[in-house]
Amino acid sequence: MKQVIEGSHAVSEAVRLAKVQVMSAYPITPQTHIVEALSEYCADGTMNAKFLCVESEHSAMAAVIGASSAGVRTFTATSSQGLALMHELLHWAAAARLPIVMAEVNRALAPGWNIWMDQTDSLAQRDTGWIQLYCEDGQEVLDTTLQAYRLAEAINLPVMVVMDAFFLSHTFEPVDVPDQELVDRFLPPFSPRIEINTSDPFAIGQMAPPNVYMEMRHDIQKAMELVPDIFTGVEQGFTKIFSRTYGPVEKVLCDDAEIIMVVTGTAASTCREVISDLRSKDEKVGMLKLKMFRPFPTDLIREHLGGAKKIAVVDRNFSFGASGIFAQEIRAALCNNNTHPPVFGYIAGLGGRDVTPEILSEIYWKTKNSPILENESVWVGLLD
Amino acid sequence: MAAKQKHAEQIPLFISRSNISTEINKTGSWRFVRPKYHEKTAPCSAACPAGEDIARIEMLSNQGRYSDALKTILLENPFPSVCGRVCFHPCETVCNRAGLDDPVAIHDLERFIGDTADGDELKLTPKKLPENGKTVCIVGAGPSGLSAGYFLSQLGYECDIYEAQSEPGGILRWGIPGYRLPNAVVASEIRRIINSGVKIICNRPVTQDFLEKAKARYHALFIGCGYGRSLKMNIPGENMALDGLEFLNSLRDGKVEPINGTAAVIGGGNTAIDVARSLVRLGAAATLIYRRRKQDMPAFKAEVEMAVKEGVKIKELFSPIRIKEDTGEYVLSLQLMKTSDMKTDGGRARVIPDGKAIRHLRVQKIFTAIGAEPSASWQFPQGENTETLHLSHCTLTGNNTPLLYGGDLTNPIKSVTDAIASGKQAAMAIDIFFNQGRHAVENGLSSCLVGKGPALSMERYLGGKRSVRDSHIVSYGDINIDYFSMAGRVKAAPIEVNNRIRSFDEIEATFTISQAMEETRRCFNCGICNACDNCRIFCPEIAVILQDSERRINLDYCKGCGICVFECPRNAMDLEEES
Repeated sequence: MKQVIEGSHAVSEAVRLAKVQVMSAYPITPQTHIVEALSEYCADGTMNAKFLCVESEHSAMAAVIGASSAGVRTFTATSSQGLALMHELLHWAAAARLPIVMAEVNRALAPGWNIWMDQTDSLAQRDTGWIQLYCEDGQEVLDTTLQAYRLAEAINLPVMVVMDAFFLSHTFEPVDVPDQELVDRFLPPFSPRIEINTSDPFAIGQMAPPNVYMEMRHDIQKAMELVPDIFTGVEQGFTKIFSRTYGPVEKVLCDDAEIIMVVTGTAASTCREVISDLRSKDEKVGMLKLKMFRPFPTDLIREHLGGAKKIAVVDRNFSFGASGIFAQEIRAALCNNNTHPPVFGYIAGLGGRDVTPEILSEIYWKTKNSPILENESVWVGLLD
Repeated sequence: MAAKQKHAEQIPLFISRSNISTEINKTGSWRFVRPKYHEKTAPCSAACPAGEDIARIEMLSNQGRYSDALKTILLENPFPSVCGRVCFHPCETVCNRAGLDDPVAIHDLERFIGDTADGDELKLTPKKLPENGKTVCIVGAGPSGLSAGYFLSQLGYECDIYEAQSEPGGILRWGIPGYRLPNAVVASEIRRIINSGVKIICNRPVTQDFLEKAKARYHALFIGCGYGRSLKMNIPGENMALDGLEFLNSLRDGKVEPINGTAAVIGGGNTAIDVARSLVRLGAAATLIYRRRKQDMPAFKAEVEMAVKEGVKIKELFSPIRIKEDTGEYVLSLQLMKTSDMKTDGGRARVIPDGKAIRHLRVQKIFTAIGAEPSASWQFPQGENTETLHLSHCTLTGNNTPLLYGGDLTNPIKSVTDAIASGKQAAMAIDIFFNQGRHAVENGLSSCLVGKGPALSMERYLGGKRSVRDSHIVSYGDINIDYFSMAGRVKAAPIEVNNRIRSFDEIEATFTISQAMEETRRCFNCGICNACDNCRIFCPEIAVILQDSERRINLDYCKGCGICVFECPRNAMDLEEES
């Protein structure tokens, strides 16, 4: 049934419908609404689950690692400083091959203190071994959370469902909250491959000497390489029941486009309007929405972007001393391709600044009107 | 050590995993201190004259085990419903919970547990030792005599209690007004004592002559006949004043008639307060006359406060010097007093006349309640010699046939619960006397102290679980407060002042079950294990083993880190150095 709900609560509803058994979290704006609703569901009996209140995000991740190792479905959520504090255990969760699902609300890191939208927090965790999926609106974040459990449990890797602070987390939109019965058809109960058990005791996570460590790491990569196919399968199953699909990337008017704009998160919605306006003025522009960032969909990037004349990447993040992180990854994916159009990197909307249609138009025209790449990154909308 | 994880779906899943037990690594070898379960004494139980195991009683109640809670009280005190109402609850004064918010309402809980006893539980008495063929004569069926009989019968003695009045109970039945202690409550607890095998013979005043004969017929005697005679003021016109104790007696005998007009009550003890509050209920305007300051009154503070709330006026620092009759009324002449620098033996400020100031108070009735004394001289300990043992709550004389004096006759604090303590001490003293001889009595008793005493535990005497409890009294600093959050004390539903001063009904209701649950949850259970399981949950080596509801430490793996001891909220564990 369609309901007008907050983006945060779209996640909470998905977690409820996924019949998660153990949750642990530490509150942080703009994530708090997600776990606030879930703690109420645990308290009032709506969910038959355990909510563990802990003293930090580090402990929250440790708690779900423990629960997941014991073979139950788990959830946590965080943002910004909280995610940074989890860093050590993000590596642990992935290397222990635990199918944990986490909602991560993109928020800027301090100082100066800023609670608004910025992607650097999640992108700084790109090497931890987590699958990362970036969402555009309330419906997508609900659907993606449900899919994340199927995906994580199929491949034994943790999944981070990423969403914009406030633009998505605190915005009320009509969202189809599916019936439990339909969700149960899509998402069966968790059947763990690794499950510590007192009646058949074994130890996990102990010393891995040089003769095995590399093979373990190689297995993580082999699993990552299987993710695109598994994700496609999961989406097909989802589409059959719910008639909605998203894809690891979404291409909009790309086939004949000369310039393709690469966007993520809620900026994709704005960009849809901008390219439709530009198309009405006979501009040959397309848009690629990047949803899956880890594993990086190299093949799809090559397929959809390889034929364009120019690529404009909008990064709401920055790797100091280098460039926007999405632009880096796209350049890397294209450089060994037969065709590799120039990648124009734009930095916009850091720390909650709005990415308006005007900003996106400016990015398009700048790309079209620049014969050569002057700079790896162009910062758009800087005040004097 | 690592083994490849095989799975039907064949996803790459190579992780560190081992089925080899780590039990071979006996981490216990690292230990240089070891934890142990070591129960201590809760301050409430040490302050209770009857030495009740309050921490355990509240724990059992909180688990809904009311019958077990009642049994636990009955090990030390046959009068839970009575004491829950009239005890001045020194337990609450020392309650560690006061450090966090308010003391636990121990007296309300005791009353609740006592009142919850149903018909079957009135028959409930602790396990008795086999009859030993010895008989004891007890003089007076007040709280000390009844307690002596109750505990002696537990120890296998056959007891006869001789009572002068028509019904047993002493002060409980004849002295304390009904609004504090209803007759039915007294009667049902006495019934339980009778059920335990004690014989009570009423309407049988004991004389000195009878006593001499009893020495030959019985193996031991206990005299606990209380103070039956009011003290005299020795002032002119005293014969025009009414006796407060007799007045309370007549009320308890059912002679309740309205009294209009004004009345003066002379005295500052509990009896004076009881007389004044009873007068208010009968319709009189009562004024209490006390020769010292209000804070010096021996009456319990809470009783004084309630009397004032009910409309009793208190005139302090006035000493009666004369009563005169005048046209059907009485004029009470009062000397104004002031405090001096000197102190009395009891530590109170001595008062002296303040010049020649005299006041006159015109009233329609005057009652005296300035104290009481034994009504016959044989009721004092006789024939004192070097063999006489002065114990905390009784005095033992006699050579072959032990003769003990107890209750108000010997107690430093004249309270119901101290009288119960006296009966218990006498019972233990008699038993030690017969089993080990007179010389062993003092040592035998001191091995049964609760904390540092003077309260005694019958359970300890009988070698129960409390015997191993450390006498260390748990302080607030010993409690791990992280495990407790603020929660106000539950208050019993009171009857509104205007309604209560019109009747002799009780002024407060007994706790409901939900109130009792809420209040017992506040108890820290100082010093005892209440099976919270923190030790087991927090042990990083899983070295705390729970078997048949008992916890023990697996010393093969305990590293001696002390986490269990630290996380025990109530100081029921200790760390000791390895020897």
